[in-house]
Amino acid sequence: MLRSLLTNPMALPVVFPLLAGLVCLLLPNAASRLRVWLAALAAIVVLAFVWPLFQQAGQTWNPLPWLTLRTDLLSVFILLGVAFFGLVVAVYSVGYMKDRPHQRAYFTYLLWTLGISCGVVLANDLLILLVCWGFLALILYLMAGLSGPGAAEAARKSLMIIGGSDALMLLGILIYWHLAGTTRMDGAALALDGPLAYMAFLTLLAGAFAKAGAVPFHSWVPSFGEKVDAPVSAFLPASLDKLLGIYLLTRLVLDLFIPTPGMYGMLMLLGAVTVIAAVLMALVQHDLKRLLSFHAVSQVGYMILGIGTGTAIGLAGGLFHMLNNTVYKSALFLGAGMVEKQTGTTDLDRLGGLAKLMPVTFIVCTIAALSISGIPPLNGFASKWMIYQGIISSGDNGSFAWVLWLAVAMLGSALTLASFVKVLHATFLCKPSVEIRQMEISEKKGSMLLPMIVLALLCVVFGVYAFQVPLGFLIFPVVAVTVPGVWWSGLATVLILLAVIVGIGLYWLTMRGGKLRRMRTYIGGEQMQDVYLSNDEPGPLRHVEVTGVDFYDTIEQVPGLHRYYALMKDRVFDIYEFLKRSADYFVQMLRALHTGILPSYLRWFVAGLLLVVWVVTMEGR
Amino acid sequence: MNGNMVIVEFLLFPGLLFTAIAGLLTAWVDRKVTAMVQMRVGPPLLQPFHDIRKLFVKETCVPEGGAIGLFLLAPLLGLAAVALASMILWRALLDVEATFVGDLIVLIYLFVMPALGVMLGSFASRNPLASIGGSREVKLMIAYELPMVLAILVPVIQAGSIRLGDLLTAQPPILSVSGVLALLVSIACMQAKLTIVPFDMPEAETELSGGALIEYSGPPLAMFKLTRAMMLFTLPILLLVLFFGGLLTGPVWQRWVIGFLVWFVLVAITIVLRNTTPRVRIDQAVRFFWGPVSVVALVAVVLAWAGW
Repeated sequence: MLRSLLTNPMALPVVFPLLAGLVCLLLPNAASRLRVWLAALAAIVVLAFVWPLFQQAGQTWNPLPWLTLRTDLLSVFILLGVAFFGLVVAVYSVGYMKDRPHQRAYFTYLLWTLGISCGVVLANDLLILLVCWGFLALILYLMAGLSGPGAAEAARKSLMIIGGSDALMLLGILIYWHLAGTTRMDGAALALDGPLAYMAFLTLLAGAFAKAGAVPFHSWVPSFGEKVDAPVSAFLPASLDKLLGIYLLTRLVLDLFIPTPGMYGMLMLLGAVTVIAAVLMALVQHDLKRLLSFHAVSQVGYMILGIGTGTAIGLAGGLFHMLNNTVYKSALFLGAGMVEKQTGTTDLDRLGGLAKLMPVTFIVCTIAALSISGIPPLNGFASKWMIYQGIISSGDNGSFAWVLWLAVAMLGSALTLASFVKVLHATFLCKPSVEIRQMEISEKKGSMLLPMIVLALLCVVFGVYAFQVPLGFLIFPVVAVTVPGVWWSGLATVLILLAVIVGIGLYWLTMRGGKLRRMRTYIGGEQMQDVYLSNDEPGPLRHVEVTGVDFYDTIEQVPGLHRYYALMKDRVFDIYEFLKRSADYFVQMLRALHTGILPSYLRWFVAGLLLVVWVVTMEGR
Repeated sequence: MNGNMVIVEFLLFPGLLFTAIAGLLTAWVDRKVTAMVQMRVGPPLLQPFHDIRKLFVKETCVPEGGAIGLFLLAPLLGLAAVALASMILWRALLDVEATFVGDLIVLIYLFVMPALGVMLGSFASRNPLASIGGSREVKLMIAYELPMVLAILVPVIQAGSIRLGDLLTAQPPILSVSGVLALLVSIACMQAKLTIVPFDMPEAETELSGGALIEYSGPPLAMFKLTRAMMLFTLPILLLVLFFGGLLTGPVWQRWVIGFLVWFVLVAITIVLRNTTPRVRIDQAVRFFWGPVSVVALVAVVLAWAGW
C-alpha cells in the first residue's frame, strides 16, 4: 500500500515535493547552498513527473475507498501550470534568498505548497480538495510570516479570509453531498433547482473567489502583496492561487453544477466590478508591490467575465487569460523583487532611472506591462480578444448587459495601461532619486534573471503564436472552440515588425550612420538640475523632478470617483475590516457585562446554574 | 492569404506608403482650411512633404540621460500600428469579404498604440515637462476610451456583428437617432485621439512648450508628425465605415464619391473645431468625457438597443 502510494505516477507529484520539503527542513544550516539547489532540482523533478500525466489525461487511481485521484484535460493543464510556476519561483529564489533569513523554512514551504497544490488539482473528491485547500491556507500564512514582522497583519488577514471561505466551502460540500449523494467530482452535474443547491453553489464559489482574489473576497491580496516578499507574491497570489481558484470556478460551472443564466449574469457582474474597482485603486498607489497586487485582483475580473459568459469562446478566453496572467504577473512580481533586492525599496517615490542600471529587468517589465495592458500582439491581447468575443456572443440570448460589461472591460484595459506607464515612468525612466544615485546597482544574478527572461519570452510567444501553442496544446483540448476567421496575430506581428524595421532603416539613412548628439534636456530654458514640481518640501528624500506617482491625482478628484476613493480609504469594501468591525460591535456588548464587580458575576453565575439545572430536568422528563 | 501579397499590401497599398502620402495630403487640407478660417492663403499642396523631408535631413539630438533605445523606438510603434489599422480598414472597404471576426476590437487596440508611443517616448526623454505632457496623454486616453467604446458599440448593436464586413453591408447607423448621437460622441473622441485643440494639452505649447514631444527633433519627430498625419487621414475613415458603411453601395465611382464626401466633411468638422475652440484643462477634459459625453453615448446605446 505504502509502496504504491510512493510510486504511483499520480501520487508522485504530491508525495515527492512533500518529502523533498522535509529533506530541506532537516538539512543543517551549514548546507544552505545545497538546500537551495536541492529545492530547485526538486521543482524540476516535479515538472518531469507531471509531464507524463499531461500527455495521458483521463486516468483514475483509487487506492483507498475515500481517496480517488483523477486527471482530465482541465486538471492536467492546471497541473502543468502549477509545476511550471513552482519551478520558475524556485529558480528565482536561488538568487533571491541568498543572504536572507528563514531560508530553511522558505524552501520547505515552497515545496510543500507545490505538492499540496498538485493534490488539490488531482483530487477527485471535494473533501480531499478541501483538506488540501486548508493546508495551503496554513502554509500561505506561515510563508507570509517569513517576510518579517511587517507582514504579520497581512498574513493574519489572508488566513482569516481564505480560512473563513474554507468554512463556507465545508458547508457547501455538505449540502452538495446531501443533494448529490456523493462528494466525488466526476458524477453528474447538479441542477440549480432549489435554495439548497444555490447555497451549495454560492458557498463553493466563495472559496474559489477568495482563493483567486475576486471581489468581495479580494482585500487580502493587496495587503499580502505589499508586505510579503516578491517571490512569495509571484508564487501565491499571482500564479498558484489564480490557477487553483479559477480551476475550482471552472469545475463548478462545468462539472459540479449546471448554472442558470441568472448565475452567469451574477458572475459577469462580479467580474466587471472586480476589474474596475481594483484597477481604479491600482491607479493611485505609491508602492510598486501594492500596485501590482491590485492588478492581481483586477485581472481575475477578466477571467470571471470570460467564464461567466457561459460561451465556449468566453470560457476558453478566461482560461487562457488565467494562464497569461500568471505569466506576466509573475514576471512583474519577480521584476519588483529584483528592484527591491537591488535598491531596498519598492516605494515609487524613491525609485527612478533604473532603465540604465537594470536593463534586463526594464525590458522584461516593459514587455509584461504592455502585455497586461492588452497591447497587440502580446499574449494579454490574445486572451482579452477572446473574452470580448465571449461577452459579445453572451448577448445572443437577448440580454442587454453585455454592452456594459464590454465597455467596462475595455475601460479597465485602458486604466491598466495608464497605471503601468506610471510604473515604468516612476521606476525606470524618470530621473533617479538621490538614494538611487548613491547606490551601486547591478543585476548580475543569473538565477534571478533567467526566470524573468523566460516569462517575458512566453508573453511574446503566447501572443504571437496564440492559436498554435497555448490554445492548441493546453486550452482547446479542454474547451473545444471553433473560431470563425481568427485574429492573425502572427502575421500582424510580422507586419508591425516590418514597419519598425523600415523606420529604423529610415533612421539609419538619415542619421548619417546612426550618429546621435546628446543634449541637455530643455526645461523652459532654465539651467537647473532639480526642479520641484510636486508640493513636497525640497529635501534629501525629495530630490526628484517628476516621479509620476501623482500623475493620476486629477482622476482622483473627478466628482464621482472622489467619493469612491474616500470610501476605499475607509476600507468600507474590505470584507475583513467589515467582519472585524461587526465582531468588535458584539464584543463591545459582551464587554459591557464585564463590570469587574464580584457580586454581579455571582448573580450571573447563579442564574446560569439555575438555567442548566432547569434544562437538565426538562431533558429528564 | 498570400504572405508576400500581404507584405506588399502592407508596405505600399493600402498600408504604410499609401497612408503616409494620403496622411500628408490630409495635413495639407488641414493647413489650407485653417488658413481659410484665418483669412490667409495657406501653403502649397506639397508643403507637408517638404516639412517631413526637412526633418529627416536634420541632425538627431537625443536627451542626456534618457532611455535612448525607447526614445527612438516609441515613434515607430505608433507608425506601425496606424499603418496596420489603415490596411485592415482599406481591405474591408475594397473587399467586404476580406475581414475577420472581431477585427473591430483589433482596430480599437491598434488605435491606442500611437498614444502609447507618445507616452513612452515622452517618458523616455527624462524631462519633467515631457513627463507631464505624457501623463496628460494617458489621462486623455482613459477619458475618451469609455465613450468611444460605447459609441462604437452602437453600429455593432444595429448590425448584430463585430466584423467590419457586416458593418459595411448593414443599414447605415447614421439614418437612426442613436447613430447620429454616437457619431457626435465619436467626433469628440476623435478630436481627443488626434490630440488637437481643444484637447492638445499633452503638447500645450504655451504651458509645456511642446510637452510630450519637447525633446524630439529630426527624424524621430518626423515619425511622430507622420503618424499624426496618418491618424488624421485614417480615423475619419473608421467613422465612415462605422456610421456610413451601408451608404457605400452602387457602382464603383458612386461609392468613391460618397465615401470621399463623407470623409471630407468629417475632416472639415475636425479642422473647424480645432480653429474655433480654446484648449481646455486636463481635468475639464476628463470630466467632459466621463460626464456628458459618456451619458450621451449611453443614451445612444440604449436607443440602439430599442431599435431607434
